[in-house]
Amino acid sequence: MKNKHLILPVVILGLYTLYNVGPLLWLMISSLKSRPDLFAMPPTLLFEPHLAGYEAVFGVGAAADSASSHGVFASLINSIVIACSGTVLATMFGTLAGYAASRFNFFAKGDFMFFVLSTRMIPPVAVMVFYHQMFSSLGLADTWTGMIMITTFINVGLATWIMKGFFDGVPTEVEAIALMNGYSRWYAFRKLVLPMVRGGIAATAGFSFIFAWNEFAFGSILTTTEAKTLPVRISSAAGATGIEWTQIFAAGTVLVIPVILFFYLIRRHLLMGMTFGVLGKKG
Amino acid sequence: MAASRMLRKPISDRTLCTLFLVPSLVILAVMVAYPFLSLLINSTYRFSALRSNVEPVFVWLDNYDFLLSDPDLWDRFTFTGTFVVLTVSVQFILAISVAYYLQRDFRGRDLLFTVLMIPMMLSPIVIGFLWRYIFNSEWGLMNFFVTRLGFDAIDWLGVTDNALIAVVIADTWMWTPFVILLAVAAFRGIPVSIQEAATIDGASPFFRFTRLTLPMSAPILGIAFLLRLIDSFKQYDLFFALTGGAPGSTTETVSFYLAKVAFSYFYTGEASALAVIQLVIIIGLSLIFVRLLTRIGRQRQ
Repeated sequence: MKNKHLILPVVILGLYTLYNVGPLLWLMISSLKSRPDLFAMPPTLLFEPHLAGYEAVFGVGAAADSASSHGVFASLINSIVIACSGTVLATMFGTLAGYAASRFNFFAKGDFMFFVLSTRMIPPVAVMVFYHQMFSSLGLADTWTGMIMITTFINVGLATWIMKGFFDGVPTEVEAIALMNGYSRWYAFRKLVLPMVRGGIAATAGFSFIFAWNEFAFGSILTTTEAKTLPVRISSAAGATGIEWTQIFAAGTVLVIPVILFFYLIRRHLLMGMTFGVLGKKG
Repeated sequence: MAASRMLRKPISDRTLCTLFLVPSLVILAVMVAYPFLSLLINSTYRFSALRSNVEPVFVWLDNYDFLLSDPDLWDRFTFTGTFVVLTVSVQFILAISVAYYLQRDFRGRDLLFTVLMIPMMLSPIVIGFLWRYIFNSEWGLMNFFVTRLGFDAIDWLGVTDNALIAVVIADTWMWTPFVILLAVAAFRGIPVSIQEAATIDGASPFFRFTRLTLPMSAPILGIAFLLRLIDSFKQYDLFFALTGGAPGSTTETVSFYLAKVAFSYFYTGEASALAVIQLVIIIGLSLIFVRLLTRIGRQRQ
């Protein structure tokens, strides 16, 4: 009798898990295949692993010097520099603004918070028409500085909202007591409140890194050679001469692995991060 | 050291608040407010960013008139709308049925839950190419299963309707986890006592789900719905990698079309006007979203 109740849940969860996990495993398996194995029908599960794609991505071995893999390694370095710098800046700015929004009342605060959040909703292509001109005239097109501005801006809004959520969870008495004892508010913020929201800062940085690391739309228009990121480089591996599947899957796997590592870091704050700090505050 | 001595001078809360807000305000003003104003102005001129030596001509609202009477644009809106309705409804049906069983505790639940959340964090461009490979009509995994089940191989990406289904399958793969995350949170937030009282009164599980669980989860599911609506409306990356707008230009979303007007045709004036239209739609949706969000935030406090 008890088993009968289990059939439906097991079937639904089982099928969904298969649909959910299968493609990701297929990406990782395919990244190790040689060209003939990639196009084998029926698809092969047992094959001799082939590292040409990874050699191109990490700039080692024979495959790294071929014309088709030119610049792949450089784009990996670009991605690391741009995503990390943007993450640090967005987390810093978001932490400061989040604290201000949590503790103080200021002019048009509600409008400010809406404006901050709306930046998260903006379709990249819509503002790009403008950025394209602004970046060219300021010499920011195809530079690290320009792309770091982008990865900072796309995350500042989210970072502010998440950090406000975390600061809201710290009782205001913490600063009140410090102020009463003659410490400055800056001291209370830095030495008392900040350590209490360490987990929140880590979560904010985790989210920011993931979005910065995956950013494609801005990079595809605003970079051409020098500051091309790995996702943008992947898209040009699908050129006129056909698609470099081995490179795409190897680069794809390299793009996915840090995300899974960071995902582990933010897993308990997932609900909070995805709802702008409003739900799941206790995590 | 000099800096720390300076900070010992007490800073008023007002100054501190301003200093804390300035970095975010500056970057958002430069990257959002200024572009928006500039787009508004540009949208009233006829000019091309490619030909900077040609003087822009002030044309009032001609660009809007031109766009709104362009059947191509309406095709893009219709396609985007169809995609949004399909993908969001499939995601909700799937997510609610999975979340219904994931809300209970069982051995390995937390691990399974965490693993299932991964797709929404991945790079859409990688996901697009991965599904393009899976949907390939000759060597793709999808047609391998289709033919194994005894059907004819399907030309997934060569026929508009099939390509739409393919993008919906890929987008659903990526974003159902997000809806599951919120649905589980909503379901688990309902007090157990209410469910128990209904059970004692003899309510069937179906009745309890449709009359109790769903209505009580409505605000949080509303958040999920609006966010999915906004995100799928502006979807660009996935289409870029998976269909590239093909066959023909029948799977181009509004975002995709905008990129084409701006960076292939270089009709900068028209592109600015279309960008303004898209932004106004998104801002409208965001306003509803923030209202809902602050209401729920207040209820929870």
